[in-house]
Formats: sequence, C-alpha cells, structure tokens
Amino acid sequence: MKILRTAQEGLSSLAANPLRTFLMMAGTVVGIAALTVIMAIGKGTESQVMRRVENFGPRAMMLVAGGGRTIGPPDSTVTTLTLDDVRAIREEVPGLEIVTPQAWLSGAGLRYEAQQIKATLWGIEPEWHEAWNWHTADGDGISHEDVATMARVCVIGSSVKRDLFGGADPIGQTLYVNKVAVQVQGVLERRGVMGASGGDFDNRILVPITTAMRRVMNVDHIGGVRIITSDADRMPEQAEQITQLMRARHRITPPVEDDFRINSPLAIAEVVRGTSGTLTMLLAALAGLSLLVGGVVLMNIQLISVAERTAEIGLRRAVGATRNDIFTQFLTESLSVTLLGMILGSALGSGISVAIRQLTSMPIVISWEPLALSLGFALLIGTFFGVQPARRAARLHPVAALR
Amino acid sequence: MIELEGIEKTYTQGEVVTRVLQDISFAIQPGQYVAIMGASGTGKSTLMNILGCLDKPTAGHYRLEGTDVVDLDDEGLSHVRNQKIGFVFQQFHLLQRTTALKNALLPLIYADHYPEEAEELAEQALGMVGLSDRIDYRPNQLSGGQQQRVAIARALINNPAILLADEPTGNLDSRSGVEVMAIFQRLHREGRTIITVTHDRQIAEHAQRVIVLADGQIAEDQTIDRPRDAEAELVALVPNEENNG
Ligand SMILES: Nc1ncnc2c1ncn2[C@@H]1O[C@H](COP(=O)(O)OP(=O)(O)OP(=O)(O)O)[C@@H](O)[C@H]1O
Ligand SMILES: [Mg+2]
Repeated sequence: MKILRTAQEGLSSLAANPLRTFLMMAGTVVGIAALTVIMAIGKGTESQVMRRVENFGPRAMMLVAGGGRTIGPPDSTVTTLTLDDVRAIREEVPGLEIVTPQAWLSGAGLRYEAQQIKATLWGIEPEWHEAWNWHTADGDGISHEDVATMARVCVIGSSVKRDLFGGADPIGQTLYVNKVAVQVQGVLERRGVMGASGGDFDNRILVPITTAMRRVMNVDHIGGVRIITSDADRMPEQAEQITQLMRARHRITPPVEDDFRINSPLAIAEVVRGTSGTLTMLLAALAGLSLLVGGVVLMNIQLISVAERTAEIGLRRAVGATRNDIFTQFLTESLSVTLLGMILGSALGSGISVAIRQLTSMPIVISWEPLALSLGFALLIGTFFGVQPARRAARLHPVAALR
Repeated sequence: MIELEGIEKTYTQGEVVTRVLQDISFAIQPGQYVAIMGASGTGKSTLMNILGCLDKPTAGHYRLEGTDVVDLDDEGLSHVRNQKIGFVFQQFHLLQRTTALKNALLPLIYADHYPEEAEELAEQALGMVGLSDRIDYRPNQLSGGQQQRVAIARALINNPAILLADEPTGNLDSRSGVEVMAIFQRLHREGRTIITVTHDRQIAEHAQRVIVLADGQIAEDQTIDRPRDAEAELVALVPNEENNG
C-alpha cells in the first residue's frame, strides 16, 4: 500500500534526525507522564473513597461528640452528648432504621492473668452489631438483657484475643478492663487494618453501654451515635434535621461552634478526595501546559523542517509523489512523534506513580485506562499541530521547491 | 513521442508580465538524444520543467506518448512523472542520511504498485552506472560524480520513456562530466530517449541534435552529424583515481 510506504518515509526521516525528533517529543512526554500520574492518583483516591464508604456503610451516619470538621474519634472532653439526645433523635427524626449510642474510651487497659495490653473500649447496645454489620465469629454478642442488667460481660476483637489469650479459647474467661472484671462471651469477626491511619480495627473490646458508662468510665455522656437511614437519598436532609435538633437541645446558635459533628459517606469522600486534590490540580496544570507548549513546539519544528527540506519535497514530487503523499509523510512524522512521546510519557508516568506509592501513603492505582486517554491526546495533538506543516509541505510547487 | 505545439509560459507578478517561453513547437522521436542550449535566463529550465510535467505551460499543447498532459491535474501529472519520466538535476538532489540504494529506489515508493524486487532493481540500476560497490554509501561518502550517477540510477529505476537532465554536468569536474556523458551515450545506444540541458557546447555535442533557445524562442535546431564519443574522450583523459568510482 502506497500510504504505508509514504508513512514509512516519515518514520525514516524521524529516525535519521534523533535530536529533532526528541525536541518534537519532549512536551508530549512530560504532559502524558503528568496525565498518567493524575489518573493513577485519581483512580487510587476513588477506590479508597469507595473502600472507606463501603466500610463506613453507604446508609450510615455518625453523630459524634465534639465539633470540627475532620473524621476521627469523638472528643472525650466534650460531655454534652447524652442518651437523652439519642431518645430525642429516635422520636423526632423520621426515616431512621437504627439509632444506637456508643460510649468510647481509647487506650483502656486490659489484663488477663499476666498479660496486659491497651485497646479501645466500646460501650454498646445490641443494635450496634447490626448498625456496623459486625457480628461475632464465636460466642454471643451484647444483648438487651446485658444492657439492662449492666452485665459484666464483653466481646473482644480478634487482635485482643490474639494478644491476651494466644491460642487459647477466650470464651468464658474473665479479663479486667481498667480493673473491672468482665467475662468474655464472644469474639468479633476480623476486620483488619483500615485506611491511611493504619489503625487496627480488631484491637477493641465491646461491653454493654451501661457497664461502660457506670462501671468502667463513670460518666453520663456518650461518645457518639451510629445512625442507619432507611433511604440513603434522604441522608442530607436527615443530617440537617439532626443538626437542628442537637443545636436546639444543646442551646447552640451559630456563630457559636457546634459541640457535635455528623460524619457521612459524603463527608468521608470529601476528606479523602481533599488530600489529593491540590496535587492533582498542579499536575493537571502541568499536563495541560506541557501538551499545549509541546504541540506548539512540535508545529514550529515541523514548519522549520518543511522550510529546510523544500529540496527534498521538490525531489519527491519530481519522482512522482502527489500532494497527498507529501501530506501523509509529514503528518505521519507529527503523529509518530506524539505517539512515541505518549508511550514514553506513559512509561515515565507509571514509573513516577510507582515511586509515589512506594515513598508516600498516597493512594495510587495503576491501570490501563489512562493509556486510552493518553492515546486520544497524542492523536489529537499530533493531528492538530501536525496538519498545518503537512499542508504547507504538500502545497509547495515542485518547481519552486527544487530551485 | 514528444510533441510540443505553441508552448508559451508567462509569469505575472503584479503589473509585470514576464514572457519566458514563446511559441515553442518541436517533436522528439523515440530514442533521440537531444541537447538544449542557450544563454542563462533564456528559459531552458522552464522548458525542461514543462517537458517533465513539473510545471504547466500558460498556453499550447504537450503530447507525451499520445496524451495531452496539459489537461491533467496534479495527481495525473504526478503519475506521469512517476511512470514516464526520469529526472537528473544539476544539484543531484539526493536524500542525505540515506543510502545510495534507498535513494535509487525512491520513485518506486510512489508507484501504484511497489515491486517486490525493488531492492534488486535498485542494485541493477546502480550497477548500470558503475556503483555496484557503493550501494550502502550515503551521499556525503560519495564524490560529486558518484552522487550524480546515483541520481541517474534513480532516474532509470522506473524504466521511464524519457530521461530529462538539466545541467547534469554543471556541478562536476570535466572528467566526471564526460563519465556522465558516456553513460548517457550508452543509454542512448540502448534506445532510450534523452533530453539534456547544457550551456556547454562540448557537452551538447555528445547528442544527436541540438536545440538552441534565445529569448524564449527556438533560435536553431541542428543535427550533429558526428557526435563526440565520450568513451574515447575518457581514454584520452589522464586516469583519475578519485573519480574512478
Ligand atoms: N517563478 C518565476 N517568476 C518570475 N519569473 C521567473 C520565474 N521562474 C523563472 N523566471 C524567469 O524565467 C526566465 C527563464 O528562467 P530559466 O530558469 O528557465 O532560465 P535558464 O535558461 O534555465 O537559465 P540558466 O541557464 O541560468 O539555468 C528567467 O528570466 C527567470 O527570471
Ligand atoms: Mg536553468
């Protein structure tokens, strides 16, 4: 096929002029590399958002003691959130499936025989298991009766089981939480290490909320309320209702800061996305600028090249090349340069992405999808900036070109 | 084979109209070896460009093997150049950084049908001009005479109906010039039609016929009864190692 042969002529010319080819390619390489990194970060962030939302529960909200915007544990110095608030929410906010309070104490001291460890203590009601979709792997969970009787029982996470009991069966054994004796009646399913913070979710002990508040912590307030809505679409509206209710009950009028906050999948997604947002913006600017400048450079080098190679163009015309053949050759040169630049840029970008993943905690997912986008950009730039030089070359009159 | 009838060429630049060729009519028979002479600026190259279908006359008819090429569009002209015409230029016009072999087969790239044995054809063509041992050399590794012979091989690769040469010896020393003439005379003996432009009377006298242009018109059209013999001239010249190729 003649078109392949003329295209081949373009490739030969690129190979014969490596420096020129490199200069034509540089912008595309940098731009595509930046684009690849952006996509890797973007995809990594989204998969982390998905994972975090999945873990948090897509229909879940957390009302947490203490103001501020960040996701995280409740502020234990804030004592205004109470079981009465929980009751009020149940009564006044419609469309909620589960509203279950939880008391919370970080770094509680656990002892079993000679073993001592620190773990997070959660005082819960039976609905907690359903609300977190987190059940016991062995034994029983916390029951209504346990809560009603302030029972001295507990359910432990798998890390606590490992660290306190080793290989032995913990069920029926008695351990001490801050010197209060409780009997192990169940072991939770394993959840593993979560998120960028690297916190161990299985290093926890659950006791009836009454036991936690009265016997262990001796407080009247709770740390938070886990809320499951029956309709995820209504969540923003329900969050607003809860906010108004809490402000009224705690006598807060803006601009006084709230003494509580509501975490939802949306809020989580926002926080996760926020960390990679600035870098992504910078890289996007770099990518856009590189591709644009690279395209302009490519066009100018090609225009100079056409001017320098008029004799070559005239000769090719003299031996039978049509205008189309010349056009094909020069457009092939531009397109091949951007395609090669795209391949090198993708490789470079993937390398940088791997390095970022290795050196930082940023979520990075390397996939094939950026290749399609990069290919699209490369073709677009090669065509957009390559057409004018190719057209100029094709329009040269053979006699004028040969003179 | 070639018939020119009332060919005119004028260039118009704003108000200024330059008449470069006026009322040129002649015919060239197949197998003829013709030299075109004339002072500088009389329109020799312009005429060659029209004969080579690189340019169109402003008026007149040009029939090449029966077709009036004046009616053809750019693509049609490109096709005629590719199939029927071989060009040799004063400045050689070889692609730099490209081997003699690749240079010689360039016209085949633009043929409708690329012969499978293109490289062998190029080797043969280079063999015909005595460059069998230089096929992988690049232009900057070849002497001027050798470069012009690569250009002749390129012009012959398509087995064209006519070979057109515009001042083929203009950039060569006298020995290389005579060598090129020897090749042309051999091609002529083999039956090829050759038209060459020169301002050098001695070079012109290697042809059978000399057309002299003056002010864009045919001033003389003479037959050379006994053309010079390039082979004999070469024997008489002192051998030159460098240009023996
Ligand atoms: N594009 C052009 N525009 C205007 N005038 C032109 C153009 N091309 C050629 N000419 C004029 O046509 C005339 C003939 O030019 P041409 O190149 O054919 O001469 P020539 O006989 O080949 O001369 P030389 O022996 O110097 O090569 C010259 O006077 C030149 O100035
Ligand atoms: Mg001339």
